[in-house]
Amino acid sequence: MKYVKFFLMALFAITITSSCYKAKLNQPVPGLLQEQQLANNTGVQGLLIGAYAMLDGVSTPGSPADPSYGSAGSNWIYGSICGSEAHTGSFNGDLTIVEQIEEFGSNPGTIYFDIKWAAVYEGVQRANSALRLMREAKDMSTADTIEVRAEALFLRAFYHFEAKKMWNNIPFVNENVTYNNNNFHVKNDTSWQPIENDLIYAAAHLRTSQMTQGIGRANNYAAEALLAKAYMFEHKFAQAKTLLTDLIQNGQTSSGVKYDLNELYSDNFNAADKNSKESVFAYQSSVNDGVSSPWGGNGNTGDILNLPNGGESGCCSAFQPSQYLVDHFRTDSKTGLPGLDNNLPPVKNDQGIMSADPFKPDTGTLDPRLDWTVGRRCIPYLDWGKDPGYDWTREQFGGPYSSKKDAVYKAQEAQYTANGATIATALNINFIRFADILLWAAEAEAEIGSLDQAEAYVNRIRARAANPAGFVYKYIDPANPAGGFTDTPAAHYFIKQYPPGYFQSNGRPFALKAIYYERMLELGMEGHRFFDLVRWHIAATEINAYIQSEQNLTSYLKGVTFIPNKNEYFPISQIQIDLSAGPDGKPVMTQNPGY
Amino acid sequence: MKKCNYLRLIKFTALTIIFYFKCYSAFSQQKISGFVRDINDKQPLSSASVIIKGTNSGTSTDNNGFFRLIAKKGSTLVFSYLGYISQEVLIGSDSVLNISMSKFVSGLDQVVVTGYTSQKVKEITGSVTVVGGDDLTSVPDGEIEKMLQGKVAGLTVINSGEPGSVSNVRINGIGNFGDVTPLYIIDGVEGDINLLNPNDIESLQVLKDAGSYAIYGVRGANGVILVTTKKGKNGKTTMNFDASETVQEPLSKGLDILGPQGQADYIWLAYKNSGQVDAQGNPSSPLYGNGPTPVLPDYIVNGNGYAANAPQVNPSLYNITPTAINPIYQIMKFNKQGTDWFHELFKPAFTQNYAFSASGGHDKDHYLVSLGYLDQEGTYLETFLKKITVRVNTDFSVNDAIRFGENIQLYQSQSPPGSPDIYHALLTDPYLPVYDIEGNSSSENGQRAGPADNPVTAQLLTKDNRFYQWHIFGNVFAEADILKHLTFRSSFGGGFYFFDSYTYTYGAYDPSQGLNSLDEITGYARSLTWTNTVTLSEKFKGGHSLKLLAGTETKSDYGRNQTGTSEGYLTNDPNLRLLGNGDGVPTDESINGMASSAFLSSFISRAEYGFKDKLFFTATLREDGSSVFGPENRFGWFPAVSAAWRITEENFMKKINWLTDLKLRASWGKSGFDGNTGSLNQYTLYSGGPGSSYYDIFGTSNSTVQGYTTVQYGNAKTGWQKDIMTNAGFESILWKGKLSITADWYQKKSTGLLFPVSLPAILGYATPPNVNVGEVDNTGVNITLGSRGSFSKDWGWNSSIAITTYHNKVVKLNDLPYLDDGPYNGIDYPVRQEVGYPEGSFFGYKIIGIFQNAADVSRSPVQQDAAPGRFKYFDANHDGVINDEDRVHFGNPNPIFTAGINLGVTYKNIDLSTFSYWSCGNDVLNETAGSLDLSNGGVTPKSSAALYGSWTPKNPNATIPIVENSFNFSNSDAVNSYPLEKGSYFRNKTFIVGYTLPARIIKKYKITRIRLYAEAANLFTVTKYKGLDPEVSGSTSAFGIDIGNYPANQRQYSIGINLNF
Repeated sequence: MKYVKFFLMALFAITITSSCYKAKLNQPVPGLLQEQQLANNTGVQGLLIGAYAMLDGVSTPGSPADPSYGSAGSNWIYGSICGSEAHTGSFNGDLTIVEQIEEFGSNPGTIYFDIKWAAVYEGVQRANSALRLMREAKDMSTADTIEVRAEALFLRAFYHFEAKKMWNNIPFVNENVTYNNNNFHVKNDTSWQPIENDLIYAAAHLRTSQMTQGIGRANNYAAEALLAKAYMFEHKFAQAKTLLTDLIQNGQTSSGVKYDLNELYSDNFNAADKNSKESVFAYQSSVNDGVSSPWGGNGNTGDILNLPNGGESGCCSAFQPSQYLVDHFRTDSKTGLPGLDNNLPPVKNDQGIMSADPFKPDTGTLDPRLDWTVGRRCIPYLDWGKDPGYDWTREQFGGPYSSKKDAVYKAQEAQYTANGATIATALNINFIRFADILLWAAEAEAEIGSLDQAEAYVNRIRARAANPAGFVYKYIDPANPAGGFTDTPAAHYFIKQYPPGYFQSNGRPFALKAIYYERMLELGMEGHRFFDLVRWHIAATEINAYIQSEQNLTSYLKGVTFIPNKNEYFPISQIQIDLSAGPDGKPVMTQNPGY
Repeated sequence: MKKCNYLRLIKFTALTIIFYFKCYSAFSQQKISGFVRDINDKQPLSSASVIIKGTNSGTSTDNNGFFRLIAKKGSTLVFSYLGYISQEVLIGSDSVLNISMSKFVSGLDQVVVTGYTSQKVKEITGSVTVVGGDDLTSVPDGEIEKMLQGKVAGLTVINSGEPGSVSNVRINGIGNFGDVTPLYIIDGVEGDINLLNPNDIESLQVLKDAGSYAIYGVRGANGVILVTTKKGKNGKTTMNFDASETVQEPLSKGLDILGPQGQADYIWLAYKNSGQVDAQGNPSSPLYGNGPTPVLPDYIVNGNGYAANAPQVNPSLYNITPTAINPIYQIMKFNKQGTDWFHELFKPAFTQNYAFSASGGHDKDHYLVSLGYLDQEGTYLETFLKKITVRVNTDFSVNDAIRFGENIQLYQSQSPPGSPDIYHALLTDPYLPVYDIEGNSSSENGQRAGPADNPVTAQLLTKDNRFYQWHIFGNVFAEADILKHLTFRSSFGGGFYFFDSYTYTYGAYDPSQGLNSLDEITGYARSLTWTNTVTLSEKFKGGHSLKLLAGTETKSDYGRNQTGTSEGYLTNDPNLRLLGNGDGVPTDESINGMASSAFLSSFISRAEYGFKDKLFFTATLREDGSSVFGPENRFGWFPAVSAAWRITEENFMKKINWLTDLKLRASWGKSGFDGNTGSLNQYTLYSGGPGSSYYDIFGTSNSTVQGYTTVQYGNAKTGWQKDIMTNAGFESILWKGKLSITADWYQKKSTGLLFPVSLPAILGYATPPNVNVGEVDNTGVNITLGSRGSFSKDWGWNSSIAITTYHNKVVKLNDLPYLDDGPYNGIDYPVRQEVGYPEGSFFGYKIIGIFQNAADVSRSPVQQDAAPGRFKYFDANHDGVINDEDRVHFGNPNPIFTAGINLGVTYKNIDLSTFSYWSCGNDVLNETAGSLDLSNGGVTPKSSAALYGSWTPKNPNATIPIVENSFNFSNSDAVNSYPLEKGSYFRNKTFIVGYTLPARIIKKYKITRIRLYAEAANLFTVTKYKGLDPEVSGSTSAFGIDIGNYPANQRQYSIGINLNF
């Protein structure tokens, strides 16, 4: 029995020592931040910065292998390619998913819709996490909390808006939807109300000047503009008109400058002129900021494939303007007005002609904005040299043209491109610029107000376009593009304003047609067109007409049809629908019609 | 020599004849002498008894196994030795008798280590399989997990052919969705079995039921493998030396890939079928021109094809170092014969393996020192593993009551830092040459790409990348007999781990497309375990015995690493590859670091009761507290009970002579699993990074402001997985070991499975925590049949079959309808874990045929992109529409059974053994074939089956859909059942012939034993699987998916030597 006693004593000793160790079960959390470290003014402000950082749609420095193009903030695929402004470029078989989307052949399994969805809702959650931790912060003034709330709600609305344009039928995720609350199976619906609510708060509470806090922040007018955009999408033209009128009369940029059009159209696509008086809200691209990935970092990573290929000015030729877009820039040689019924002669192109073979460019009258929107053969491509056509495309897979608005000047390469390699640039992604506001205002006036006022807005846009200082000019020495430009325009530019009373005399439908047309000329290749066609309810007719006219250029469009009441919205990722199922296995999200 | 052998053969034959005809003369006395040896390793057996049957007279063998006695002709000699099968030999005219004795299949009195204690085999109440070190090394391989395949019923091992790769090892089914690797306990301390030198292993105990492994508590639920390393033994120093040389050959047949002409024809057909033709009806392509048939060019420049005499093919234009005025101009020959990328990438590979050990000791002190070196090449270019191990095991006795000792091992290895992307490498266009006209690396995308774009050079350029690992692990222990039956033991052990990994990436030909860069990651980890136990062991009157054990254990883990990236290296000189030599421009990942820590505190107890060697009961109880879980779910109790009845010890069984031993066993127990849960799982965490959350809020174009984002959601309620396992079985030995049968039935209910649940993307990018997601049940039967013995004094055999079956089913998922899983293939996940289906079940659209014509399309359910020649999917819910609700579970990667079959024959000094493995009834998703056979809108390589055997109106019975230039829902843009194949296979894994040199030849060199052997591995595989290899590893929950798997079935030939001094 002695042994047993010993044994029991030992057991007792063991139990005592063992309980001493239990304190060690509370191990420290090494390396990462926890809520209590961020629940203060600095932390909340940092979370808000993080929410802005998602505006480009890309959260990590990409590489060519990453399909971050699918979530690009510029919407070059969904807005422009699907909107008949451009084709999938690169070479056959390279960007099969983009091509499939262009062909309206995508389905709920198409990965880009999952990527885009995840990117916009990451933006939503980043905004929400600032709101959530602000509740816990003890050191914030009331003014600070109002401003942070307003900015966060603006961003949250912005990201939801992106989703809304794509899928219409979306879940609205407020700050109370969290993992820990276990309420993340959120139904999707088509309501605009929560987006409007956030924007109404933001417009009412945001500061006007963000000069000291950072001009990249939204101000009250940016919120007002986004709210007006929402009203335009909802066809609430009266509410929109009120806001737009206010914006045109009183609106200011975040740096406190009154909104106005830049003198030169091209200033909007020049990195040196970013955050101009025309910039209402933009993604602030930066390069060489501690992230030196040539694929982007904080530059416009989603767009790195889109510059001409083969030259020095970039890579990949993935985003090639359509002939249809180019033809829109033809002006009537007598009136200087566009051919609203697409009845003017097409613009000559160099499809199938090697760069070494001779080519004479079109000599007809053209809207000067064409050569800032489209890179075409023989026309100076900024200061990089004359566009050689074929050699800058990849076998002209997506046609003969190159994109241009997203290129920086060679002279700016060191300052505005990542690592001096022209892939990602510091060009901002313009989400809303003042021209956009003017054209919405024109549309709202044409719908419910004064056709004359509508015409005045459109003419303001055209007047700026007609400024000869803003034309593309020929090089002094084509062999030395850096040597400057002559005063000979690169093509026959001829553009006029609508004569006074023209809208009034031609009636409302004509006026609307002219405004729709002007949006394409002014905002071409900027990622808006598809969403505009859908909100105007003319997507099926316009796009099917485009497919008919364009399929001889890009044969992959043969047999493609835009199906009305289906293709207006993209399919919701099957993965996300599957993940929206609760324990009963029934997904709470519904798929869009037709998929 | 030869004559001598003949003589022996004649003698043997004569003896056999005499034996069979029982014609012997009965009275003459005769001097008999000879050696007694182990049948397998030919080691002499000293002190074996040699008795004349029916008498008390006899002798025993000396240290050399030699015996001499006088016996009558016609009498029978009985040879016996502890742990071996007794042998009876009739004395004929032969005066020399060399006896080879076989071990008992299960050495019932063998003492083996079980949880925190050791037991005789016959006393074990749980389901435990012991694998001897010799059995393990009988299949020579540098990697222990691979050697375990098929050895133990209930242990499933799936290998990859990549050197140093970790195999999938599971005990008794698949108990969770994450890590199912068993817990490896090396000399009492948790460790990594892959770090061991196989020659250092004395034995492995595989604990398969909760009765035996529940004492490992929260770490035990995947089963436990206890490893005991070799110790020095009493006697003079013995030395062993083993060496082998191996050559491995790549598979002779690679993938079925069309040559350049075929590929061009395929593209033409695709364009035509898709209507993508010009007004004349001809397709066009920059490589093959524009015409009714494709024309193969002679050269490729910038993606265009040219004839040899074209001005573009002028070598003076060639340039791969671009400047502002002189862009890239790479000229490549179009390889009309086709490049055989498979055999450019897979080459014969050589492996050398050496092991040396010296051991010995006296009564009180023992030592063992060993050294191992493995230099293994993989057949895929620049894949390899080099490792060095050093082990020192010693133990000392201070006096009769106090003992102490240590087991320690040093390990160093070098291997490539990553695994090659075989899938994409094998899908390189065959027309592309390996090198361009100037001998530089060709590149598929021409123009700007660099050497990394070519799979051969990409792989060759990894030559100087390294992943170094250094481990020091082991334990020191002390034991004191405080009182006569009371022993205190303290063991302090664990490991220190350091690693350094660096990867150099070559820049593109055009530096603007990617600079050269160096990534380096270094770090360390330590794990310390301190175990203290007291054991009370007492025998009572009447045959009762009791053993009690109680103790504590603490385990503390800490790890830390730092990463650095630098780019812009002046030259590619390998000697300059240090982080400081880059251009100094910081990159996003430039400097980073991570740390983790965890603590486990436990109480252990165990009680064993025995009655007269026939009834045994064991009860264990453990309490664990684990820091990786939140305070609410940190502590838990793990009880287990088990019992065994050796029914053959009962009197009523004694008459059954053929039944040597029969033990019935049953057990029940609870255990847990805290693996695949990070130490920070309970916390919601935030972080910031320059590339991910910083933003240029001031619009400067070149500077950012620090921002943060949520990187992980925490779940403080997550607790460990809880397993309840019931096991029943028997172990039997028949005819004194000629046959042994062990069979077990088990049921394992695993609840609270830990898995990082997928969250809807509306919660953002933050990593989800591990949560307790559900329940998986496994039931199964494991059967081991063994047979060994000798036909005569020269002929012996040993064979075994280990059969493993499990039936695995997801029973419950908490708050989740299903879990989608698997390698994401760009479309969707091919695996869905769902209640009622086995783990890893393949999920998607089931193909029921191919649409034959427009009428077929219109009378079938509505399906997106339906057209003649495309797949027709199964309308699972019969609603007339094919949509997501029609996806079904269409395949099961789990086999019906697996069997390891081992056959061995010895004749005199020659031993012959072969090991085969059979996996029956498992499905494989052959994604590689899916890519080669199906149109996907690209111009990637295709199979000849796709070109010649695909659907056309004239070939309506084809299984491959129509060739077209389209990527759509009804061909390859949906997870469908096309890649599903039967994955059953029977493989001859090894075939070994060994020869042990006769003792009298080597004796004069003071060598105890020399064995020479030759081995052929993977001689043949019988399978219907069309891919490279049906043995497809993967993750725990998504496996059997072949996406460029490194084949594990490549033939290899080795020669080797075992030397004992």
